[in-house]
Amino acid sequence: MRYLIILVFALQAFAADANMKIEKDVESRARIALVDASGSAAGIGEKFFSTLVSDLKISGHFLPDSTHHRGSMLGNTIAPSLKSKDYVLKYTLSQSGTLSAVIKLYNASDATLIAGKDYSINSTAKFPFLAHKIVSDVNRMLKYPEVNWLNRYVVFSRYTGAKRSIIVLADYTMQYQKVVIKGGLNLFPKWADAQQKSFYYTSFNGVIPTLYRLNIYNGSKTRIASSQGMLVCTDVSNDGGRILLTMAPSAQPDIYEMNVGSRSTRRITTFGGIDVGGKYLGGERSIVFVSNRLGYANIFKKAIGSNAVSQIVYRGRNNNAVDANGNKVVYSSRESHNSFGLNTFNLYLTSANGSGTRPLTTTGVNQFPRFSTNGNAILYVKQYQNRSSVGYINLVSRQTLLFPLGGKVQSIDW
Amino acid sequence: MKNKVLLFSAVALLLLSGCSQKKPKPANTIAGDTVTIDEGGVNSQNRFNGSTDGMKSVFFNFGEYDLSYDGQQTAAFNANVLKQKLGSGRVKLEGNCDEFGTDEYNYALGLKRAKAVKDSLQAQGINAGKIVIVSFGESNPQCHEATDSCYARNRRVDLHLLR
Repeated sequence: MRYLIILVFALQAFAADANMKIEKDVESRARIALVDASGSAAGIGEKFFSTLVSDLKISGHFLPDSTHHRGSMLGNTIAPSLKSKDYVLKYTLSQSGTLSAVIKLYNASDATLIAGKDYSINSTAKFPFLAHKIVSDVNRMLKYPEVNWLNRYVVFSRYTGAKRSIIVLADYTMQYQKVVIKGGLNLFPKWADAQQKSFYYTSFNGVIPTLYRLNIYNGSKTRIASSQGMLVCTDVSNDGGRILLTMAPSAQPDIYEMNVGSRSTRRITTFGGIDVGGKYLGGERSIVFVSNRLGYANIFKKAIGSNAVSQIVYRGRNNNAVDANGNKVVYSSRESHNSFGLNTFNLYLTSANGSGTRPLTTTGVNQFPRFSTNGNAILYVKQYQNRSSVGYINLVSRQTLLFPLGGKVQSIDW
Repeated sequence: MKNKVLLFSAVALLLLSGCSQKKPKPANTIAGDTVTIDEGGVNSQNRFNGSTDGMKSVFFNFGEYDLSYDGQQTAAFNANVLKQKLGSGRVKLEGNCDEFGTDEYNYALGLKRAKAVKDSLQAQGINAGKIVIVSFGESNPQCHEATDSCYARNRRVDLHLLR
């Protein structure tokens, strides 16, 4: 007999707690308990523990015990109350200049040591990355499918006033945030490489928009292109050699592809209305994009170099955001008929041929869908009941986690 | 004898070093500190909220970028102002949107609005080479209230002289 457990945790405070919604058969997930063998570690002990628990949950492979157990790293003993678990992860967290952690992973039933590892990070503020690395390593130690996306930076832009913005680096839980660009109006950040050493962004600080690439470690800034009207980098090829741009050199917004090395561009769409948001499909020989060629924003597909355009989505009257990973497509659809009524935008998962469409959200304004690098998770931004959150959907386990996000996001990438 | 002792010691040292408990290697986590750059920004002061230089903003309906009758009248007014004041300078048209929808789509929508105003000015004799158009999407609202009137105020094209 299979048991289906649905847990809904209400978010009471607008601080560091996360909303979580689980709808899935949970029998296949490993039960794991955390044992904290630390002393006090700069007051971040509870946050670090909570981050480990969130990471284990969203990985989709674990049922973490939410009790903050205390214990010792000495010996290979497991408390009797924890022997019913599958695994026990003991850890110590200490701060002495740098933030350090030691972990030991055990089989709970017989206290067999599976693996151990040391970590250090040069800033206490970056403790979330330490937790993320531990969980992604535990995941790998147990030979589960990788969840390396936990370790990635999220980059987003936020308006701070009229024609003013900041661009911020964060971990996926938003507990770590650092402003990387301030001053003026700089928008639409997009990671330029898989290693996340650089990102593209559009500066509006001159007379016309200019696309730059910034190295986040040495601050070197490279001018890529300028264009009247608008200029946005919407996608980057896997090898980083080509980028998709929404550009309007003749005041006509269309999708272009640029060879980053030679700076040569070729126009991909030619419709006289609005074509924006191009994303590569698997193989990078075709794209999905948003167009109003039917009189309203909708999702279309086009092979690069071909004139033929095919409609992917046949529902909704305003589908104005899209992302793709391989053959998977996610889009945001407006579901309020009253232009000035309470707006609902929901996310839908579909395929490049429009089949297999299913909803991913049901309430609020859900926008900016972004696939993880392996396509198994989706990041998005949710506005609901005056709260702004960044959400993550694990497509395999169908879990969702939400983290508070102060301020309105203009654009986001991870 | 002495050589044998030295040889034995060397071998013993090698064996003992090999027996030492292996410590887990530290992981490579984050690759160093990231920078913060200050772009300053030429337009860091909000001097351009709404049109300037005696010109009037042109307003649009929700989701649209065609000029309404009122919009055409306003564009005609602005064309007359430009004929008197433009001289050797240029005019910058800034397209704006309300908050609905993603910002990238709204930037394109704002651009189409600015293009519509440009086309109207051109039709009334303003040289296209003297017109620069930019979209600011949702980034430059004149108001923030969640009301129909505020949304309508933000769906506009602003005009400014560039000298």
